[in-house]
Amino acid sequence: MTNEGGGRTAVEEQAVHRRLMRFGEHESLATPMWEERNTSVETIATYLTSLWDSGASSEDGEPQVREKGLPHARASVLNLIIVVVDDDAAGRVVHTLMGLGVRHPSRAIVIVPQPGHGDEPMDARISTHCHDVSNGNGERVCYEEVVLTVRGEAAGHLSGIVAPLLIHDLPTHVWWPGDPPFHDSTFEQVIEMGDRVLFDSADFGNLHVGLRRVATLRRRSGLGDLSWERLSWWQELTAQFFDAPRFRRYLPNLSRLQIRYATAPSSSSDHVDDAEDVAPGVKSPMAQAVLYAGWIATRLGWRRHKTIDALNDGAFRLRLEGRHEMVDLDLRPEVTDAARPGELLSVRLRSLGETGAAEFIIDRDGDDAMVATNADGMTALLRRVPMDAPREAELLSSQLTMDVVDPVYEDALRAAGILLGCAREPAA
Amino acid sequence: MATRTVEADPRSERSQEPHPATTPAPQPNPLREGLRLERMAEPCTMVICGATGDLTERKLGPALYNTLLGGFLPPEFTVVGFARRDLSDDDFRQHLLDGINKYSRNRPAKPAIWESFARGVEYHRGDFDDPVAFVELAKRLDRIDRDRGTAGNRLFYLAVPPILYPEIVNHLDRAGLAASGEHRGTGAKRGWTRVIVEKPFGYDLESARALNHEIAAVFDERQVYRIDHYLGKETVQNLAVFRFGNGLFEPIWNRRYIDSVQITVAETVGVEGRGEFYDQTGALRDIIQNHGLQLMAMFAMEPPVEFGADDLRDEKLKVLRAVKAMAPEDVAANTVRGQYVSGWVEGKRVPSYRDEPEVAPDSETETYAALKLAIESWRWAGVPFYIRSGKALPSRVTEIAVQFRRAPLALFARAGVPQIDPNVLAIRVQPDEGILLRFGAKVPGQGLQIRNVNMDFRYGSSFAVDSPDAYETLLLDAMVGDASLFTRSDEVERAWSILDPILKAWASGQGGALHFYGAGSWGPPAADELLGRDDRAWRAP
Repeated sequence: MTNEGGGRTAVEEQAVHRRLMRFGEHESLATPMWEERNTSVETIATYLTSLWDSGASSEDGEPQVREKGLPHARASVLNLIIVVVDDDAAGRVVHTLMGLGVRHPSRAIVIVPQPGHGDEPMDARISTHCHDVSNGNGERVCYEEVVLTVRGEAAGHLSGIVAPLLIHDLPTHVWWPGDPPFHDSTFEQVIEMGDRVLFDSADFGNLHVGLRRVATLRRRSGLGDLSWERLSWWQELTAQFFDAPRFRRYLPNLSRLQIRYATAPSSSSDHVDDAEDVAPGVKSPMAQAVLYAGWIATRLGWRRHKTIDALNDGAFRLRLEGRHEMVDLDLRPEVTDAARPGELLSVRLRSLGETGAAEFIIDRDGDDAMVATNADGMTALLRRVPMDAPREAELLSSQLTMDVVDPVYEDALRAAGILLGCAREPAA
Repeated sequence: MATRTVEADPRSERSQEPHPATTPAPQPNPLREGLRLERMAEPCTMVICGATGDLTERKLGPALYNTLLGGFLPPEFTVVGFARRDLSDDDFRQHLLDGINKYSRNRPAKPAIWESFARGVEYHRGDFDDPVAFVELAKRLDRIDRDRGTAGNRLFYLAVPPILYPEIVNHLDRAGLAASGEHRGTGAKRGWTRVIVEKPFGYDLESARALNHEIAAVFDERQVYRIDHYLGKETVQNLAVFRFGNGLFEPIWNRRYIDSVQITVAETVGVEGRGEFYDQTGALRDIIQNHGLQLMAMFAMEPPVEFGADDLRDEKLKVLRAVKAMAPEDVAANTVRGQYVSGWVEGKRVPSYRDEPEVAPDSETETYAALKLAIESWRWAGVPFYIRSGKALPSRVTEIAVQFRRAPLALFARAGVPQIDPNVLAIRVQPDEGILLRFGAKVPGQGLQIRNVNMDFRYGSSFAVDSPDAYETLLLDAMVGDASLFTRSDEVERAWSILDPILKAWASGQGGALHFYGAGSWGPPAADELLGRDDRAWRAP
């Protein structure tokens, strides 16, 4: 990030950046433009305004980020507010944003609240990100990010600090990596500023509590979840089974749903396999599996019936009431280092029909998946499809394209909370 | 069948399915709700006639592979390549794979994914004039329906020269392959049949009518998808969103505010080994009849009642019908035809058109055409539409530029500011897809100086993602039965009837001389005069 050069000043970094750009050696760069300790919102806002002003010059007499002339076009399609726990996490956010910017150039405001730390209320660092536009003309598109460390009492009043720094008339998304402090007033303040709030339910310290808290959050904004986004390809593959009308008739008669998900070999919750993960480790690896179950249950109108095996070591079994059949929901972890903890490993749907049982299977196999249909007494329909594990930046990027409210997710979220609640009850 | 533990749901599909012939339309898939990929194709077989050609290798194979990667193709999807060359299934698969590895935006193909897809790829060897080949094709397709569950849905892609269309559609008909849905065979609903045909669709009005007639004798118009890949481009689709999704522009989209419209389709390339084809065709037939007039129609149409295929095409047709027919004596004054002579384009020497291989040394074919058209409607009366297209021009660009009327009063003239330039809105289709608005702004300082500035929206800046290739969009559209971006027979015929008088006047010599222009220039000076007479000038795109 900004000061990797071992104490190099921002101006020196900028000069290096220009040289590199001249030779086209970098495809994407975060360039530190300005930093100030013990600064004010007004100073930051003024600097942000001057950054794109073609008349402004840096100390060496060259214009700052040029919008015309040498090709630096500024772009912004949204504001993104990110709240992180410390400077390390802020650094990881900046890294993630570099992967994000090509698709969602935004003004990103990364806040590190440090209540009770020191007298100086606020430090700020401003960087610009530039990406090659893939038109072959060597043009670049740039946007900026502000990292704010807010201390002392000011850390309890973040909305007043952030609001003046937002670009007007653009949607504002709030991303809260890690385990959100649901009971903190700062949390509520920041949530209120967003048109959409993004979490990763796999980061919740207590999944059951987290799901229920998010589902009942008082808010004006829509909700998003990176764990839900990780499921999107699984959902697509599942839906594809039943796009063909001849297989759709099996859907009301589903009688079993088996879900397997990955856990780390060490069973350590601090397992890290993605250096770019803003909140490293997967505290709730069951999140995706239970959201998937919640999704199927709400789409097919299943209702809770009884607990067969109560939640134990990440596994549980429930009996649910489907429209035509009772359904066994069987969800369990599998120790593997072949997939990130929490990723789904396999989904098996079983149904009963006139010609016998039908089975619909998705099995992860490295970067691919085998998808199979055994139905209608036919030879199994087999195919192999891509199953890349998306990076956090890609997940975030997809979530940022969503409409403000995702009712299917919100239904699944509530259902996941209910299923997990049911699983925590003793077996009937 | 399993015991039902709850009362039978009256909406259950199972209880309504005593016989295929009376099966009602299935309920929608409840798992689809809210998913991103709502345009998933139905299970079907795509038969590519002319499968060993350039189009399959460059466009169709890569488009199918990218559509597969995007998750838009169902597992049952099957491809049958149909051509004369003696190839095995594996040879044809290799042909497709080579094209993907060479031309796909996602390349090379992932081996495991490709192998899985390739299991649904077959090759059918046969001559297009051999009825037996089509009977065998029908048997093969029935077998695929049984084995792979393609449900009788068939998409025929005619990747062959138009001269072969009548023969192929007639053989398809005789082999029982043309009927769709309930019309086929016993009357039982057995799936849909659609046919995609490539441009050029006809050579003039008469040949287009004859071709439409031949196809209509076999296929219902709703089964025919005439591809104009320009309509698959994101910016062209965005034109409708820009106009009808924003409240700002539609009120000024008329003769009261717009002075004139320029449509440019410029290519830097020459005939690129297509001399024989191009010498029979020319710029008017090759580009303006389809891309040029379609862009104009999308730009000028009234808001459709809905965004359905026929609503959209009805509105485009209305625009084409309102274009004033050119009398032979008006052709010379309102058109310019040109042909390039040797010059330099992008640092390379380009020979004269007449020196290109397979071009007649005394060829009169135009490599450049410029027209001034009038749309006689309440919205556009008095607004000239200038359309130009050419080869060996300085840059490759397609754009629609709207010149607005000048401000009604030269308010700043007294302060020494001369006439301010009119505002321009340029819609760039390719490359650098985007929209630019030019307006005057005060130069900061004590005096009053006004300078033009650009407000520039670029797709690449705001949505820097890989847009799907036009063929990906259009193939998927055809598979899901959305004909919005395909041209209808009446549109095609109307477009030809606009151009027919011009072609005839040019052929007879009444339409003005052929003007020569140096390769690398923006066309002949006569094209500048065409606008100059109206006190206007071409935009330098």
